[in-house]
Amino acid sequence: MIRIIDNTLTGFDGNLPSKEELQRFCKLLFTIGVDAVELSMAAYEKLEKLPEEGNYILQIDYVDDMRKYPGFYRYTCRFEQNMEHMIHEVQINDAREIVRLRALQHCKEIRIIGLDDLMSGTYEKSMHEIKKLLPNSRINLCPENTFHCASALAVQWLLQCGSDVTTSFAGLKNNAATEEIIMALRLAVRHKPNRDLTIFPDLTRLFEAISGSRISNKKPVIGRDIFKVEAGIHADGILKNPATYEAYAPSCVGGRSELVIGKHSGTKAIKLKLGELQLNIPTEETVMKLLEAVKDICTEYRSSLKDDEFARLAAEVIAHERN
Amino acid sequence: MKETKYIVDTTLRDGEQSPGIALRMEDKVKIAKMLDEIGVYEIEAGVPCVSQKESDSIQEIINNTKKSKISVWSRMNTADVKQSILCKPHILHIGTPVSYIQIYSKLKKNKAWVQKNVLDCVEIAKNNGIDVTVGLEDASRSDIGFILSLIKDLKKAGVDIIRIADTVGILTPSRTKEIIETIKAYSDIEIEMHIHNDLGMAVANSLVGAKAGASYIDCTLFGIGERTGNCNFYDFVHASESIYQFAMNKKQIRRIEDECYPLLKGAL
Repeated sequence: MIRIIDNTLTGFDGNLPSKEELQRFCKLLFTIGVDAVELSMAAYEKLEKLPEEGNYILQIDYVDDMRKYPGFYRYTCRFEQNMEHMIHEVQINDAREIVRLRALQHCKEIRIIGLDDLMSGTYEKSMHEIKKLLPNSRINLCPENTFHCASALAVQWLLQCGSDVTTSFAGLKNNAATEEIIMALRLAVRHKPNRDLTIFPDLTRLFEAISGSRISNKKPVIGRDIFKVEAGIHADGILKNPATYEAYAPSCVGGRSELVIGKHSGTKAIKLKLGELQLNIPTEETVMKLLEAVKDICTEYRSSLKDDEFARLAAEVIAHERN
Repeated sequence: MKETKYIVDTTLRDGEQSPGIALRMEDKVKIAKMLDEIGVYEIEAGVPCVSQKESDSIQEIINNTKKSKISVWSRMNTADVKQSILCKPHILHIGTPVSYIQIYSKLKKNKAWVQKNVLDCVEIAKNNGIDVTVGLEDASRSDIGFILSLIKDLKKAGVDIIRIADTVGILTPSRTKEIIETIKAYSDIEIEMHIHNDLGMAVANSLVGAKAGASYIDCTLFGIGERTGNCNFYDFVHASESIYQFAMNKKQIRRIEDECYPLLKGAL
């Protein structure tokens, strides 16, 4: 049984949002299919009490904190090793350090953080070695993203070796990105296909408000511009059948395909955009003239056209052709 | 001694297809010259059929570069191929749909049609003395049997490199490994990886492809490209320099990124 732990809320101690925002963030994480949400002690104190639904994990420094904050599904700690409900954390920076795990065989649950460079090595062999060294432990992998391979490593672990990973939303804290893991598992093995992912835009906005950062427009799964399409061949393909050039329907993550007019547009895209803007579609000859004008202007300004800019240009070209 | 892998930079083709940017001729030439100087093996310079201006830009790139091979992208269409080779590129790349969704749903054709058309296109380019690489579009969602049969025909027709395109970016490391190892087991054709980043795995899958036997890796500056983009040039070299030798180092790539940021920032 796959378990995804999201530890985003262990990364905001200096800038914690309101209690209501924290509650909503947790709720949305469970909605997309996260199995447990990990909190820092500061985040928990801000929450005041745990929401009724969902599994919560507390990141603690010392075992005494377990007594101070009872009632959690699990606790994570770097210093304590073999206690009930404890996930012991260990940092393994290099595949050559994996052998050190032998000394932790007594741990019931263990989280391995790091292994950034596993993909350039024999990652499959290393993952099997980890399993072999800890035959009786529940192993949670929390790969770090120094080499931009964390999501791939987490998915690979879930598909071939283990059942447990730690991730964070948008890859905060140099982790694998929760949303990428959720989508990759949905596409690869139909993991939790009924979970509602249409709330990703809400979750993204909330994350941005909490973190004070802006998610990249091209961020996989949650970026604002990832469903914009300009190139003629792709615009045509998406028009005929969206699945041709999209791995999943944009609507399933709360997005929509958006046709952008630019240097790479073709006549089909021009006509489609005219229709979308409820403008009359002129003769083929005028459409060609309009396309030429689009290419010239976009190249001059080194950019694509916004819809209102395109509408103005179309009106000018059509009027000129009539005269 | 580390094995050498070769970078194919497609910033000027797939990268520029990203909404938000449109490069002028002087921009494209400037970027190509910098990529040439650091030893990029192949620069995919654009799509000649887009416009005469695009063809002129490609011609200028050919005239202003010294070491890199300059390639152009063409649809699998004899008319487009004839137009594309007028630029006299070093390499003509023919984008060939191979998944059933592309062949039957988008093109409304069949596998025999694809097989015949791509071989016709290859023949035209070869008869004009131009090297050809063939891009198997949407290979990650394709029937491996069809891919292997196509590769056999292409090899006979004189094609030495095929591009495995994860067009919609859905590969996982294990699936990437499986595809590349299968092709390598059945053919001695050279492989170029072209991976999109829809699941945040473009760098990892390109690396896994290289380890499974691909010699050429498609990248773009800043990872720009359609939707979530392509494999990020800097990040790929960063992730794999411990096991592979490249013509360039990270510092050189970073310098180009700094120079090109004003031109490409609209795609980020």
